[in-house]
Amino acid sequence: MYSQEKITGRVSGNDDLPLSGATVFIRGSRNGTVTDSSGSFSINGAKGDQLLISFVAYETREITISSDLFLSVHLQNSINNLNEVIVAGYVSEAVKDITGSVAIVKPKELTAVPAGQVESMLQGRVAGMNVITQATPGARTLISIHGYGNFGDVSPLYIVDGSPADINDLNPDDIQSVVVLKDAGSAAIYGVRGANGVVEVTTKKGRAGGTRINFDNYLGYQIPLKYGYHVLNPWEMAEVTWKAYENSGQTLSHPQYGNGAIPVLPDYILAGSRGGLSADDPAVKENLYNIDPAAGDIYQIVKANKYGTDVFHEIYSPTFSQNYTLNVSGGNDKNHYLFSAGYLDQEGTLKNTYLKRLTIRINTEFNLMNNFRLGENVQLSSRQTPYYSNAFNPGFGSSNSLPNPIMPMNDIKGNPYGSAPGLGFNKNTIGLDNLNLSKSNNWIILGNMYAELDFAKYFTFRTNFGGTLDNQYYYSYQPGFNLYAISSPNSLMEGSGYSRKWSWQNTIVFSKSFHEDHSVKFLIGTEYISSYGRSLWASRVNFFSDDPNYSYLSNGGVDGQNNSSQAYNSAIYSIFSRLDYAYKDKYLLTGTLRRDGSSVFGPENRYSFFPSVSAGWRISKENFASGLSWMTDLKLRGSWGKLGFDGNTPLINQFTLYGGDPASSFYDINGRSNTASLGFRNTNIGNPKTGWQTDIQTNIGLDGTLWNSKLTFSADWYIKKSTGLLFPLSLPYVLGGATAPYVNVGDIENKGIDLLLGSKGRFGKDLRYDFTITYTSYDNTILKLNDGQNYFDNGIWRNQVGHPISSFYGYKIIGFFNSQDDVAKSPVQNKAAPGRFKYLDANGDHKISDTDRVFLGNPNPKFSLGLNIAFTYKNFDFSAFFYGVFGNDVFNGVRQGTDFFSGSQAKSKILLYDSWTPEHKNAKVSINENFANFSNKTVPNSYGIENGSYFRNKSMILGYSLGKNTLQKIRMKQLRIYVQVANLFTITSYTGLDPESISGGDVAFTGVDGGNYPNNQIQWLFGLNIGL
Amino acid sequence: MRYSKNFFIFLLAEALLFSCSKKVLDLRPLGQLDPTAVTNKQGVAALLIGAYSLLDGVGTPNSAYPFESAGSNWVFGSVTGSEAHVGSEPTDQPELASIETFSTTASNEYVLSRWGALYDGAQRCNDVLRTMRKVSGLTDADTIEFRAEALFLRAFYHFEAKKMWNRIPFVDENITYEAGNYKMSNEVDTWPFIEEDLRYAVDHLPESQGEQIGRANHYSAEALLAKVYLFQHKYDAAKILLDEIISSKKYRLKKYSENFNASTKNNEESVFAAQSSVNDGAQGGNGNSGDALNQPNGNSLSQCCGFFQPSQYFVNHFKTVAATGLPDLDNFNQVDVKNDIGLFSSDPFEPYDGTLDPRLDWTVGRRGIPYLDWGIHPGFDWIREQSSGGPYSPKKTSIYASQVGTYSQASSWTIGENAININLIRYADVLLWAAEAEVMSTNGSLAKAQDYVNQLRNRANDSSDWVYKYKDVNNPAAGYSDVKAANYVVKPYPGVWTDHTFAMKAIRYERMLELGMEGHRFFDLVRWGIAENDIKIYLKKEVNISGYLSDAEFKPAQDSYFPIPQSEIDKSDHRLNQNPGY
Repeated sequence: MYSQEKITGRVSGNDDLPLSGATVFIRGSRNGTVTDSSGSFSINGAKGDQLLISFVAYETREITISSDLFLSVHLQNSINNLNEVIVAGYVSEAVKDITGSVAIVKPKELTAVPAGQVESMLQGRVAGMNVITQATPGARTLISIHGYGNFGDVSPLYIVDGSPADINDLNPDDIQSVVVLKDAGSAAIYGVRGANGVVEVTTKKGRAGGTRINFDNYLGYQIPLKYGYHVLNPWEMAEVTWKAYENSGQTLSHPQYGNGAIPVLPDYILAGSRGGLSADDPAVKENLYNIDPAAGDIYQIVKANKYGTDVFHEIYSPTFSQNYTLNVSGGNDKNHYLFSAGYLDQEGTLKNTYLKRLTIRINTEFNLMNNFRLGENVQLSSRQTPYYSNAFNPGFGSSNSLPNPIMPMNDIKGNPYGSAPGLGFNKNTIGLDNLNLSKSNNWIILGNMYAELDFAKYFTFRTNFGGTLDNQYYYSYQPGFNLYAISSPNSLMEGSGYSRKWSWQNTIVFSKSFHEDHSVKFLIGTEYISSYGRSLWASRVNFFSDDPNYSYLSNGGVDGQNNSSQAYNSAIYSIFSRLDYAYKDKYLLTGTLRRDGSSVFGPENRYSFFPSVSAGWRISKENFASGLSWMTDLKLRGSWGKLGFDGNTPLINQFTLYGGDPASSFYDINGRSNTASLGFRNTNIGNPKTGWQTDIQTNIGLDGTLWNSKLTFSADWYIKKSTGLLFPLSLPYVLGGATAPYVNVGDIENKGIDLLLGSKGRFGKDLRYDFTITYTSYDNTILKLNDGQNYFDNGIWRNQVGHPISSFYGYKIIGFFNSQDDVAKSPVQNKAAPGRFKYLDANGDHKISDTDRVFLGNPNPKFSLGLNIAFTYKNFDFSAFFYGVFGNDVFNGVRQGTDFFSGSQAKSKILLYDSWTPEHKNAKVSINENFANFSNKTVPNSYGIENGSYFRNKSMILGYSLGKNTLQKIRMKQLRIYVQVANLFTITSYTGLDPESISGGDVAFTGVDGGNYPNNQIQWLFGLNIGL
Repeated sequence: MRYSKNFFIFLLAEALLFSCSKKVLDLRPLGQLDPTAVTNKQGVAALLIGAYSLLDGVGTPNSAYPFESAGSNWVFGSVTGSEAHVGSEPTDQPELASIETFSTTASNEYVLSRWGALYDGAQRCNDVLRTMRKVSGLTDADTIEFRAEALFLRAFYHFEAKKMWNRIPFVDENITYEAGNYKMSNEVDTWPFIEEDLRYAVDHLPESQGEQIGRANHYSAEALLAKVYLFQHKYDAAKILLDEIISSKKYRLKKYSENFNASTKNNEESVFAAQSSVNDGAQGGNGNSGDALNQPNGNSLSQCCGFFQPSQYFVNHFKTVAATGLPDLDNFNQVDVKNDIGLFSSDPFEPYDGTLDPRLDWTVGRRGIPYLDWGIHPGFDWIREQSSGGPYSPKKTSIYASQVGTYSQASSWTIGENAININLIRYADVLLWAAEAEVMSTNGSLAKAQDYVNQLRNRANDSSDWVYKYKDVNNPAAGYSDVKAANYVVKPYPGVWTDHTFAMKAIRYERMLELGMEGHRFFDLVRWGIAENDIKIYLKKEVNISGYLSDAEFKPAQDSYFPIPQSEIDKSDHRLNQNPGY
């Protein structure tokens, strides 16, 4: 053994500038240090030891200690990420050693899209991940990895710094890396929570070296779509009404348009309770106007808007957004810290929508002794949005309520009004909704604390406690109104709740290399996760005053008091282990095994094992490849494993329960008109035998880095079979009204290919480029449903064995009945008549019945693409990001409302100009008539199903950074300014506002556009990055 | 040494966690009751209340909207029975329009919801029966009472289903999820089971439930069983029961209008009713919300919806022959009671001046006639869409202006959620059944039948219960003058009936006048076997009011019963068989 000597040195990077915070380690030992602000280090070592010198984004260098006691080390910029170490599945690992299917998203990629929430920033960045975003500020995103594995919750497990948390609560600027575990090899260690894949986020840490200060900011300006709903003007509305009446054999009479062969547009649509008024009618005299109930009957006067109200642009208007993050970090070779404060104020173009978020993060780590580390990562945040009753569609509850364009926003005095005779019961939503005052606040603490102890030379013990504590408080005040066709007392709803989810993990890692060639890492651990939540809610009506300062529950009226509270709980207890073995860095083998117990299942099926194996072969390390200089790295990998999913199942699932509430089970047995006696009902049917969904996933992948990153690729082929899906049993009503238990029924198979292609390099001296393409495709097939039942319907969706999840299903329109004769000749169809839709007689029995329904479309895309192009030229940088979805169908729900007559709401040009008439048989839509029936719109049919493919430029950024010399003069490390445009264009043949649509929170609602808040609105941003 | 100590602590912690892991995973559900918590007398009593609570058809998770499964049968009994249009606009609730035009399909949401409400009701009765068996220490009296009420209700729910679908499964307390026997067929005749349940109820229920007026008693069980017999044409058996009820003198006819007034409900005419209550913590859910839409449209009265608009054909029934005060059984439909179609409320209009049965103006809201204390019905302004639903408004489901807040849900968007009961069986109904039984049974008396009918006509002739004009049209609250609102003339049938056919005709007609808009008509037409002809006449007439009825056709082989919900057939593994024609 050689004697220990003190070795000193200096580490430098680009342009010979010192690198502070670089780590210097002696290979195979725990002996290490970091460089100081001048890049210098000193370490004890012996001759023959190998020094590993590494720094983020630089190539690691390995230097054997010789007699030189002073080393001058120059590091090269890293061009590939092979040596990058990521934390995933309870361990950290170098990218080159990973055998599972794992994707890494860089922080810069995330923040390139000004979305506010991390979930939606992932769109297009990960091959194999499907992301459907919602434009409503603060609304959730539908994310699934490797297809849809069940009918309900398909969102992945989110882990932040090792503990469960919601990534949407994070400040995106605080994220160091996002790692997505897609296959069983990487995710099976999460056992019963892992089947939907895992997204692991690591937040930024301080680094050794001097204090760094970074300031990031952008200001945004978002512009609503130029064209909103394609609806008729008021003159055309009158015409279309008359045509509908004529075609339906009705008298030509309308409260607004008069009685006569030709409809007449009124000058005023409302005065008191009358409509259809001309300007000289005494009823419209302004002195009659009254909206003060104390002064007598309400008498509103509303002028007709003969030009037509552009409702879309009345409710969507340009808005500003702003985002700031300030972070201060630093440390020495023992301890480091990071403080970060962020503020986001994202206003939606739809009135009264916004997300305001303040985050404060403190991440620290302390090396207390050589072998003992203590640290924490914690974020405090405050999040504010309006109280959305329907975050997916905060504007219109349904497209059917698009108001008739003759209705102005407000009455002659600028006050909102309800409706007017003949213009529908649906209130003038917009004017009234503007009165609503609501707010939803969340105060969230998320993070973790940990301690690590190295002992017995090869062991590290780690204990980690963390999770999320979320407090919510919200209220919604609606002033009262008593208007034509609508009245409501004022009302206040107020609620609050809290939830906590914490986990406690204890792990021991054994790590050792044997004889140079064998390296072994073994982990064993336990984890306990506990969730609890409780909330309460109350409402009152009839407040004496609408003054917001008076709107507190205790001031509400005696009648109509309402309140409730709920709670839930669940727990998981687990033991897990993992073994990584590498032979000569060439053959890699990983095995994991986890045993989970979950409280949501009955004792019989509470525990299960989740194993996985994965292996990798680094072909580029073989002797035959050593001569191939172009082959920087090539790795073939494969994995197999079993994962579980316990989501979609409430704790009560295993229990038969009773309960009741006044509306569902109380009864006024004494006939007193104002009391209800306590009554119970069976509320839940329990099934103690329910167990978890099991996914078996096989993955084969190939990763390559060629010509030193001129070309990189990562390809995966997978097959994922999900069995025993947890699904509420579809019990017949003869069993009563109790909630049916979730049981393990149904199998789904997803097969797919993920592809990531990248190319980096430079043209000439100054122009660098970096291209990335992600490709995601999956095939989704339902293999089995409940015993004896091979489908279930959900509105226009059907889930059927042999077909993809949530396929559109109904009658296929094959044309129109063109004459009475045609009706007689055609198969018998309910409500068949000239001009109505003729449906496909699929079974050829000459009768249209339920059995003639067919599959009409598939909301699952054939594939989706993310395309990122980046250039830097001297001090300029440019990047463009595109996202496209291809081969999916969308059901345009808006057209159900506008293309068929329904009396009063806004109608489309199609209905007036392109509906069937005896003279116009080559039409788009059935005859214009005032009666919904089987043969036009009351049953799901193929009308409104469109190709939903689109290709969108999600972001383009042009930045300029000050040069080094200038920076040094002004004592800054970085100053970059940029302009950005989001959603500059979308290429699509879809006729609605936006093909990216989903009408509910999960996979069961994909592909239906109910007039949702569009995602594709252009936003301009101006941004600033400062480093000190 | 230090290492091993740490390691030891770690192992200890792990062991501790592991040993209690079984316990930490044994969590109790929060916020609901275990079966053991309801296995006692109070629990069974509460389950029984829960079984009553579905009499109004509202409150089951099996129905999305309360009106889909309304206990009043306004859609399935009255709209299909020629008494009313769905009303509103044809595109509002289009599934209703398909019921009105007899193009109901097996996937109709309303039909499914009604099925779901009735079978939820039946299973709630079964929960009583199942749970009470496990309770130790119930007295015999308690056991009998719980059982009798539960069986009464179970029979009621099945009977409602039987009327609708004819071929139905009978769900007794042995049908459970655990037993796995819930994929049921509908091939077995269910009448005997319904009768059996009711016979137990008749034999064991007390004659009076005292203050608990909502509970079934001996007589309501007899009345329901009599109705069950009538639907099977077992007139002799029905007659015995009906005679008993009448001779008990427990019930009597009150003023006609009191049956539709929340402040005078549960009077001596009420044999069995679904109790409605408001401001009781249910936010309107117990306030007959199945009929919440059934109000005039767009005014301070309801704010909404203008559904359930009486038909012209129905209104025409109320014409009387001036000289006799009797209905014109054959020609009533040739001349219309004058209506205000095509007129705005601001246009002048004089209501029909011919002679009318006064019950019309307690049943139908029409232009020019006081609408309770709300003011003169203005026609057009209170009608959602004249050109599709016609010119009339419903009335029996509306409360008085002076009752708002007391008998309506204070916080509701509509006063359609109110405390008016659903009269499931009222004494007038019993009398008319008895009249039928007298005509049709082997030992009946036409004179008695005529007497029963005349009791109702005499009651209608009580001028103290007619609709009168307001003292001041601008201030309805000031009360009524002594000027009749319309030309009311109604008289009993004179002489003595001798012709069975005529008697039956008169009884059928009288049922329409007396029980109109109360959800009975369609089921009556079907059980009498006259639906096809009656509805054909109706449609021919009514197509002039509602153009969309031109599509409608009643095909007796199919439309006499509603389709069995397709999803239920599917869930039964096709053991349920669809009704013919669907």
